[in-house]
Amino acid sequence: MLHRLDVRFKLMFFVFISVSSLRANIFSLFLLTIVLTAALMHAGLPVKSAMKDLRYIFLLLLFVFVARSLSVPGSPVIEIKTITVTREGLYQGAVVCWRLLIVIMTGLSFVTTTRPSEIKAAVQWMLKPFPGIPEKKIAFMMSLTVRFIPVIFDQAKETLAAQRARGIENRKNPIYRLKMLGIPLMRRTFEQADRISLAMTARCYSENRTDPRLSCRSRDWIALAGVVCLCLVIIL
Amino acid sequence: MGLKNISLSIPEGAFVVIAGMNGSGKTTLLQHLNGLLLPTSGTVYLSGMSVSENLARSRQMVGMVFQDADSQIVCETVFDDVAFGPENLRLEHGEVEQRVIWALRTVGLFDLKDKSPHLLSGGEKRRLAIAGVLAMEPKVLLFDEPFSSLDYPGVKQVLRQIVSLHESGCTILVAAHDLDNIIAHADRLVIMKEGRIVRDGVPARLLGELEAFGVREPSASRSGGKNPSWLN
Repeated sequence: MLHRLDVRFKLMFFVFISVSSLRANIFSLFLLTIVLTAALMHAGLPVKSAMKDLRYIFLLLLFVFVARSLSVPGSPVIEIKTITVTREGLYQGAVVCWRLLIVIMTGLSFVTTTRPSEIKAAVQWMLKPFPGIPEKKIAFMMSLTVRFIPVIFDQAKETLAAQRARGIENRKNPIYRLKMLGIPLMRRTFEQADRISLAMTARCYSENRTDPRLSCRSRDWIALAGVVCLCLVIIL
Repeated sequence: MGLKNISLSIPEGAFVVIAGMNGSGKTTLLQHLNGLLLPTSGTVYLSGMSVSENLARSRQMVGMVFQDADSQIVCETVFDDVAFGPENLRLEHGEVEQRVIWALRTVGLFDLKDKSPHLLSGGEKRRLAIAGVLAMEPKVLLFDEPFSSLDYPGVKQVLRQIVSLHESGCTILVAAHDLDNIIAHADRLVIMKEGRIVRDGVPARLLGELEAFGVREPSASRSGGKNPSWLN
C-alpha cells in the first residue's frame, strides 16, 4: 500500500509528521512511534542493515541526550564534583532524541517505500513552478549523484588498499595521507565523469526527455486525510 | 589518437572485428561512427546520410557499448537505466516500458529489473549496458573491448549476446586487442596501427599477420588449426 502512494503525497506526509513531531508531547510521541513502527514493518524494512547504516545517527542522539542532561538546570539526580545531571535535563534530552528519532523513522518509511526514480520525479515536479531553475537537469544530476556515491566509495576503498599495500600507514601525518588519497581519487572521479558524459551523449541525452509519470488517486487523498488528522491530534 | 586516410565501407549485417594495439585508433574510429567525434576532413555516412547532418538519428541508429560498463550505467535501478535511452528519444511511457521489458528479456536480466546496477556482476553490468543500447532499437552495434576485465562465464554471456544480436540482423563492430574469443564469429577483420587501417579482409587470411601489428594471434591459429567458437 505505502509503496503505491504518490511520491508527492509521501513527501508531504514526511514534512507534516516531522514538523508536528516538534510540538509533540510524550503521549503524542508514543502514538507516532506506534504508527511509524507499523508503517516500517508493513514496508518490510530490513531492520539489521538499517540499524547498521544508522549507527552514527544513534551516536549523535546519545551525544544530544548527554549534552541536554548536563546543560539543563533543575533538580539534580546525580552529582559528581562540578558535573550535575538534572531530572529536567534527562526528560528534555529524552524528548528531543525521541523527536529526532521520529523524523528519522519518517524518513526511513519514505525512502523504503519510494523508488529513487520517483524521488527524482518529485524533485522535478516541485522545482517546475520556479522560473530560471532547470528542474530536469537538477533532478537528473541528483539521481546521478545517488547512483555514483557507491562507485566513488568503492574507488576510495581500492585506492586506500593500494596505498596500504605500499605502507602508507607508516606515514603518521594525516594531511599527507589525505592528500595521497584525495588527489588520485579526485582524478579518477573526474575521469569517470568524462566517460559518463560521453556515454550519455551516445544515448542521446538532452534535457528534453520523456517526463516522469506522476498520478494521484483516491487512496492518496484518503492517506492525506489520515495523516492530517494524526498531525492535528499531535499538535492539539 | 587521430585517424588518417580512413576509407572503410561496412555493409548491413556484417560482423567486423577491429584489432590493434592500445592507442592504434580503434576507439576513435568507433566514436566517429555515431558522431561522438566528428572528422576534421572527410565524411562518415550512415545509410546514405552524413552522420553530422543528424546526430540524434545517428546515435539512435548506432548504439555503442563502452569498455567501462560502470560509466555507461547512469540510473539507480536496472529498469530505469534501460529506460534512459528511450526517454531521451521522448517516447511515450507505454512504448518506453515495452522496449525496456523487451531489451531486459533479450539480455536475460528481466528478473533483476529492480536491482541496483552497482550490485550486478561484471558480465551482468556489460549485458545491462547492451540492454540500454538495444532499447533504442539501433541497426548497428559498436562494442569497445567488450570482454575486458570479465571472467570466463562473463565473456561467454556477453559473447552469446553479441552473436545472437548479429543473428537477429544487427551490424556488429567489435574493437578488441585479444581476438581469441571473438574471431570465430567475425566475417571481416580490420587491423589498425597509428590511426590508419593497415589490413582489411577475411580473418582467416590476416590472422598470420596480426603479430606484426602488436596483436596476439589466436591460439588455434598459431598451431595451424581453425579457431573454435567459445560458445561450443
